[in-house]
Amino acid sequence: MKIFASACFLTVIAAFPAWSATVTNRDGEAAVLVVVEGESRMEVAISAGGTESICPSGCFITTPSGDRIGLQGDETIEIVNGSAVVK
Amino acid sequence: MAMKWILHPARLRLKQRLNCLRPVAILSGTRLLPEKNMSLSKRFLVAFSLMLLACSVPALGQQPAVRAEPQGQTQGKIQPPDEASPQAQTSAQLDAARKSLQQLADQVEKAENDDIRLADIKVEVDAAAKQIIAISVATRPRLDAIKARLTELGEPPPADAPPEADVVTQERKRLMAERGEINALTGTAEDLSIQATRLSNTITATRRALFSNTLLKHTTINGATLDNAIVAFNIERQQFSRSVTSWLRFVWSFKRLQLLGALFLSLCAALVLVVGTRRLFSPLVYREATSGEPGYITRLSVAFWSTMIPTTAMVVFAVTSYFFLQSFNVLRPDIAPIVAAMLATSGALVFVSTLANAVLAPRQNVWRLVRVSNQGARLLVLSIFAMAIVNGLDYLAGAIGEAMGSPVVLTVVKSLIASIITGLILMAMALIKPIVSAGETPDGRGKPWPRFISALLVLAGAGLIIAALSGYVGLARFIATQIVMTGAIVVTMYIGILTGKAVAKQNALADTVVGRYLERRFGLEQVALDQAGLAAGLAIYALVVLVFIPLILLQWGFQIADIQAWAYRIFTEIKVGSITISLVGIFVGILLFIAGFVVTRWFQRWLDGNVMARSRVDTGVRNSVKTGIGYLGLGLAGLIGISAAGLDLSSLALVAGALSLGVGFGLQNIVSNFVSGLILLVERPFKVGDWVVTGTTEGFVKRISVRATEIETFQRQTIMVPNSLFINAMVGNWTHRNKLGRSDIPVTVTYESVPRQVMDTLLEIAAAHPLVLRNPEPVAVFSAFGDSTMTFELRVYLADIVNGGGVRNELRLAIYERFREEGLGAPFPKQQAEAEPTVPETDEIEAPDVSEEQMQTVLPADSVKRSGTQRRPRRISVGGTAETD
Repeated sequence: MKIFASACFLTVIAAFPAWSATVTNRDGEAAVLVVVEGESRMEVAISAGGTESICPSGCFITTPSGDRIGLQGDETIEIVNGSAVVK
Repeated sequence: MAMKWILHPARLRLKQRLNCLRPVAILSGTRLLPEKNMSLSKRFLVAFSLMLLACSVPALGQQPAVRAEPQGQTQGKIQPPDEASPQAQTSAQLDAARKSLQQLADQVEKAENDDIRLADIKVEVDAAAKQIIAISVATRPRLDAIKARLTELGEPPPADAPPEADVVTQERKRLMAERGEINALTGTAEDLSIQATRLSNTITATRRALFSNTLLKHTTINGATLDNAIVAFNIERQQFSRSVTSWLRFVWSFKRLQLLGALFLSLCAALVLVVGTRRLFSPLVYREATSGEPGYITRLSVAFWSTMIPTTAMVVFAVTSYFFLQSFNVLRPDIAPIVAAMLATSGALVFVSTLANAVLAPRQNVWRLVRVSNQGARLLVLSIFAMAIVNGLDYLAGAIGEAMGSPVVLTVVKSLIASIITGLILMAMALIKPIVSAGETPDGRGKPWPRFISALLVLAGAGLIIAALSGYVGLARFIATQIVMTGAIVVTMYIGILTGKAVAKQNALADTVVGRYLERRFGLEQVALDQAGLAAGLAIYALVVLVFIPLILLQWGFQIADIQAWAYRIFTEIKVGSITISLVGIFVGILLFIAGFVVTRWFQRWLDGNVMARSRVDTGVRNSVKTGIGYLGLGLAGLIGISAAGLDLSSLALVAGALSLGVGFGLQNIVSNFVSGLILLVERPFKVGDWVVTGTTEGFVKRISVRATEIETFQRQTIMVPNSLFINAMVGNWTHRNKLGRSDIPVTVTYESVPRQVMDTLLEIAAAHPLVLRNPEPVAVFSAFGDSTMTFELRVYLADIVNGGGVRNELRLAIYERFREEGLGAPFPKQQAEAEPTVPETDEIEAPDVSEEQMQTVLPADSVKRSGTQRRPRRISVGGTAETD
């Protein structure tokens, strides 16, 4: 029972990071996002197939396709053909 | 010169606020600002609610959310939604957001020197930033739709390819335009968001600068300053007496009833509190004249509560009287801040003096919490009280100066005097000789402080005086306030925590009057009282933390808006790296889980008791359905709870995948048992109440749960059998489809008896027993030839095999009596009885199951005994009865 309980606990803990926006690049080449969070505007490069966690408290991103989207900070995003798909 | 000061009262007021470190009133956030009279009552109320622990948390939580709301609503109204396109709406919303940001920025400029206002504005700016992001998030679905449609339409054909339909070109153009529009809007939102964050950061920087300016502001102190101050003081005195007398005259002639009514009502509120708590908690709170020395815990809790209750009563009095005076229109704008400051000062005085009395108990040395001499305690209480009075008067003087629009220099000089007096008192405290050495009574003269304490006191006092004289009056005043107020709060907190610990101790509550009252009134048991004590202890901890920590923060110059924002953040989002944890979410999740669990249990009981019981469903099915529903409901409640707590179920799937490897190894047994349990529920090889045999375990099934099954043996031992054993090994069930069963009784007689007569007699005996079935009828078998005995066996069928033991016992008695009457020869071997006197007998229910061949074969008596049941050792033998002979 103890094992079971700790397994449950671990599961719960592992499920927590769902809370900052996660960006996964599904394209064959690296994608560069412009992330505006707080006062700063920065570029985040995500390698092909890579995943990054960005902006836990809301931000704006500009995708390689030129689209700008606002994020609350709890989304999961995939970069497909240079444009963002929010799940 | 004084005229010059009075010429610019507004400017002066600002400067003055910079200079005199707005002293912070204990027990409330009462920073007294003439222009903010309306907010004073609010602040009092907030402080009051903090004191009473009343719903401060939900109020905190809602604040920012509520602020964000109306914006969206008003923006929605700017253009009717059915006419405007979504983009136009978004653009209108963004415009509104820009305007409100602009307004906030203007307000920030205006309130440059107002810390309280800045804190409020910051909360609004942060809400606006959130709102801006929300606005742009709302455009996302449309953008996604456009992108999807564009993908469907495909790229425009190259120049040499045949042209596409005009409609397609048009649509693509339109969509591209819309996409550009949305992107432009999002860009605007992006800029606005940056602007908002910048504004928010500016506010933080301004506030930080304001604080350090106020604290480290240097004023030159010289003769001219004092001259200015004296002139200003004279003017202020005249102005003050004029204002107060005119106000008093006005109130006495026109508002007499209201004034008296307000005072009466607030006194009533305070009295009700004092009397009520005295009746309820008297031995906890008030000192009885005891002959012996009260226990440390009693002294502790008395000290804590005798500080808390009068202080709370005073705060209630202050808040209610201010509230009533304000609502009866008794106060004038110039008088209100002074009255508020007076009330706050008296509250702080009551707090400090009751605390000093509670800890030092100058008149009752048995109740003293610290070991000091009587003389020392008296002097210490006096000096602490004096410091509190000086602080309070300084604060009051500051409030009066601010209300009268006096020049800054006056406030500076007042604070200078207060700081010097406080410093002198501190230095004088170093001269007190309070220490009582071991073995001495507290009546003695006492010894001086240990060197480091007296050095500390002298240093602190000297530091205060030097700081004040060298011009850092704000700093000196801040430190003086901190020494008195923060010191008092920390001491109370410490005592409170110790009290909570004491109350939470085992059986501590039962010995108090509250405990005895609960016992008498609600008939609480010892255990319940103990648990109540634990809960009370935890509640005291919560009270101490929730009341005193905000108070200390207020002391340090933080604003209520800051504390609200922090509390809101603590309850909604705690960030650890990239993880955000919401306490409220988790709490809601747990509540939902409990609710789901309760509903499941209720549904289970209803289905079992009402539906299935009436539809005459087999108990096994009933049990399975009940258990199944229980687990299903539990799982559902768990899922709902997890979702509500904000856990992402999709990432649970990932974790489950990762865990499956662990399941393969570590959790193999548990999972196997779990699955076996499910199979048992579906297949139902046995039900609760069945008599089962598996391996070496035999007994009645008491409970089937998903991991293990509870079996009670005949000796009433409970055995948990893992479910996989039932699935993997053979399970015998005596009562599977029916309870019909055969019970065998071996009978051994000497060769002198006539076998047929023996068998007939046995059958007659069996037929005479009421529990033996007629069909299938009883059988008597001549089962074996022994060396000196013949073995017969009486086999009877019983409707309920569970009764086997009783029936066999009665049959054996009957056989013995009949055989003796009829002289059939003893139904047991005489020699053997003597030869084996120790054949074990365990008279238990037994259900022999002799196979057909064994019945036919003539075996020696011994082997028959063993072959009675092959499943398990036979426990009844003829040898047993031999002992009775």
